Amino acid sequence: MTSRWPIWLILGLTLTFLIGPFLIIILAGMSAGNSLAFPPDGLSLKWYAKVFTIESFRASFGLSLFLAVFGTLAALIIGIPAAYALNRYDIPGAETIKTAVAAPIIVPGIIVGLALLRYLVVPLDVTIFMALFVAHTALVLPYAVRVVSSSLQNLRSDMEEAAVLLGCTRLQAFTKVVLPNIKGGVLAAFILGFVTSFNEVPVSLFLSGPGVRTMPIDMLSYMEITYDPSVAALSALLAFLCVAIVFTAEKFLGFSRYV
Amino acid sequence: MFQNRREGLALALPAAIFTLLVFLLPVSIFLSEAFRFDGGWSLQGYVQFFSEPLNQSVFLRTLKLGALVAGSSAVIGYAAAFCIVNLDGRARGQIFGLVVLPLMISPVARTYAWIVILGRTGIVNDTIVGLGLSETPIRLLFTETAVFLGLLQLFLPLMIISLVSAMENLPRDVIPAARVLGASWLQVFTRIILPLTREGLVMGGTLVFTGSLTAYITPAILGGSKVLMLETLLYQKVNVSNDFVSASVIAMILIVMSFSANLLLKRIATARR
Amino acid sequence: MSDAFVSLQDLTLAYGDTVAVPSLNLDIREGELIALLGPSGCGKTTTMRAIAGLMAVQSGRIEIAGRDVTRVPANKRGIGLVFQSYALFPHLTAFENAAFGLRLNRTAQADLVRRTTEALDTVGLGHLSSRRPAEMSGGQQQRLALARSLVMQPKVLLLDEPLSNLDARLRLEMRTELQRLQRETGITMVFVTHDQSEALALADRVVLMRDGVIEQIGTADALYNTPESAFAADFMGFENIFEIENATLKAASGRLPLGFSTDAPCLGWRPGDVHLGDGPFEARVISVAFAGRHREYVLASQLGPIRVDVDIAAPAHGVDAPVRFALPQATARPLRVS
Repeated sequence: MTSRWPIWLILGLTLTFLIGPFLIIILAGMSAGNSLAFPPDGLSLKWYAKVFTIESFRASFGLSLFLAVFGTLAALIIGIPAAYALNRYDIPGAETIKTAVAAPIIVPGIIVGLALLRYLVVPLDVTIFMALFVAHTALVLPYAVRVVSSSLQNLRSDMEEAAVLLGCTRLQAFTKVVLPNIKGGVLAAFILGFVTSFNEVPVSLFLSGPGVRTMPIDMLSYMEITYDPSVAALSALLAFLCVAIVFTAEKFLGFSRYV
Repeated sequence: MFQNRREGLALALPAAIFTLLVFLLPVSIFLSEAFRFDGGWSLQGYVQFFSEPLNQSVFLRTLKLGALVAGSSAVIGYAAAFCIVNLDGRARGQIFGLVVLPLMISPVARTYAWIVILGRTGIVNDTIVGLGLSETPIRLLFTETAVFLGLLQLFLPLMIISLVSAMENLPRDVIPAARVLGASWLQVFTRIILPLTREGLVMGGTLVFTGSLTAYITPAILGGSKVLMLETLLYQKVNVSNDFVSASVIAMILIVMSFSANLLLKRIATARR
Repeated sequence: MSDAFVSLQDLTLAYGDTVAVPSLNLDIREGELIALLGPSGCGKTTTMRAIAGLMAVQSGRIEIAGRDVTRVPANKRGIGLVFQSYALFPHLTAFENAAFGLRLNRTAQADLVRRTTEALDTVGLGHLSSRRPAEMSGGQQQRLALARSLVMQPKVLLLDEPLSNLDARLRLEMRTELQRLQRETGITMVFVTHDQSEALALADRVVLMRDGVIEQIGTADALYNTPESAFAADFMGFENIFEIENATLKAASGRLPLGFSTDAPCLGWRPGDVHLGDGPFEARVISVAFAGRHREYVLASQLGPIRVDVDIAAPAHGVDAPVRFALPQATARPLRVS
């Protein structure tokens, strides 16, 4: 290959298409005017500041954060043993269990949310909050199982046998040898789950009630009513949050190795 | 491999039971609703759904847009992936990082940007009016083009990632070898790269296609009720007309389509290995 | 069997419905260095894993030091195992790897440090105790795996292909090291290998296995010089083996007169024991290779391919040259058919 410029041209165009809109959002949020426009009418950070004062945003951010953290933790608590069992044991129906646990990835979230609303919330009087929690757990579970599985696959099982021969019980072999060696994968699964849950819309679409709305849903309904740059500012802030988390994870533990 | 099956089953069961209860069971019941009619079993719901012209056109549009987005992302994806694997170490990692970056950002934010770009007072219309190409702003939002662009931007990274990893696994020096044997670049692509990266293409294509089928935010924001897709139609059926039978039919269509796409993917991934 | 330290009695081992080892009997004396030798899939690793308790026993029993351990779980058997892959714990330093077992049974700190340091010194790793496995060479990892087992003063030390991951020079070094360790500690060692030269060089007794069955047990000398079956002979380098019937050799092209009478159903000759130059059989040279003190010929004959080693001082034959050879009665090894 003689010349490099065609390569950079193609990459430049592609990246402009992929990243450009995001940069526009950041700038649109910095508008000094009152309506959404690009280029912005003058620059100010007032919309970025205003985001923090909107009560419903604070509430929905809190809910989304809670779901992302504890939904993912719950998924890991049941997902890690499942991944371990699927990788280390010869269990009957392993394929069926694998498919079942992975199914929430394939089935569109909107259907899951609607089904839960109709058959869990309405007839059984389960709170919307509870339904959101189990829905987000189910949504993250496939990622948790997959990521933890792939780090278990990289860990030879004879290491556990060696631990047992040196006197470990099976549980000790898991806590003293397996867990320390897959903790990077577990953390990666947590971050992937967190970002997935935090950005999730379709599952939560039908699962919202008075005062119980996830962040993205709240943004969607705010957008329908108001056409000011605050949603742009909020989008930019949330994006920074997610990118910062993933970037830190990549920097300190090579996140991408596990995903 | 440990031989104690009961212990293994006990470890796997909580996850399995949880998925069964909060996922498989409710979704299955919901899917069965379309088959209930006047207290019996029937396909009436499906017949009625497909006899409505609006539903037909939404169904076809969803398929069309899904295929268009998958096809376009394949074309752009090959060009971009080829460029990326031809960069050296550091630059490759950084560019690849930039490609992956949008996946971390909320689809709401990513879609919202298109309002700023395509809206009545957006960049494109400002330019058109400013250049005198049109007296008044033209409608760009709530068109198929807008939905197409939004979906493409949303899912293109998945295609590029699949193709980059497929190309990284190409045996060393096959491309120079083909060049030395007299292949043109087009022949290199059709005879070497395409067959050898077929799995990556199918994987990326499946991800993009099913992603486009089941995306909600993009058609909701950029298409509105003018350009309905199956997901937004489902939302309307439930929230506007309380028509759960049609919603259940749409759900079944979506699930069947993404399931068969995934099945196809698995087939191809496990074949020839 | 009063002097048996490890005793396997009618041991049957299976993976699901596939029987890997049907009814094996083996006695190992205290302080002995035993090699389980055989091709892959012969059941040697399965047997070793059963001794360690990593493999469920279908029937039969395992006794160690007079105690029935058949149902004793692996973590209570007091057996050391050096894995082929070493199976070191990557998150722990060399010292912590070696001290792992002592920490589990709550050995007092002073005692733990003394014993761990001693074990690391024994294998020559005292100066590397703060390294992680990933920062060590293959040979050092091997030694660490050894030290980690030795610290526990196991009743029996099992080694799975202990030399296979090392290069030729390290292999020789490790061989010497293992023999020294065994002499100094008097520990009973069982190692698994598919390499007959390794087994012969190292072991007091070699157990040759095939399809889950013991083909022959004996000292290196006995196995090398007096293999009992065609399989054992083939494994020990008898490259020319023929079935015999009524003083004739059975060959692909028919029967040929043997020239002497024998009761054995099978006879084998090493390449060095075939006489080249004159004799009843005609052949043609297919290939000839220089091998230091001798030349290695492959001949095409009515008996099929024949391998012959001839002293370097003898006149050389070129490829395609017609030659004659004899299979002398004096060097023939009588064998069981197998």
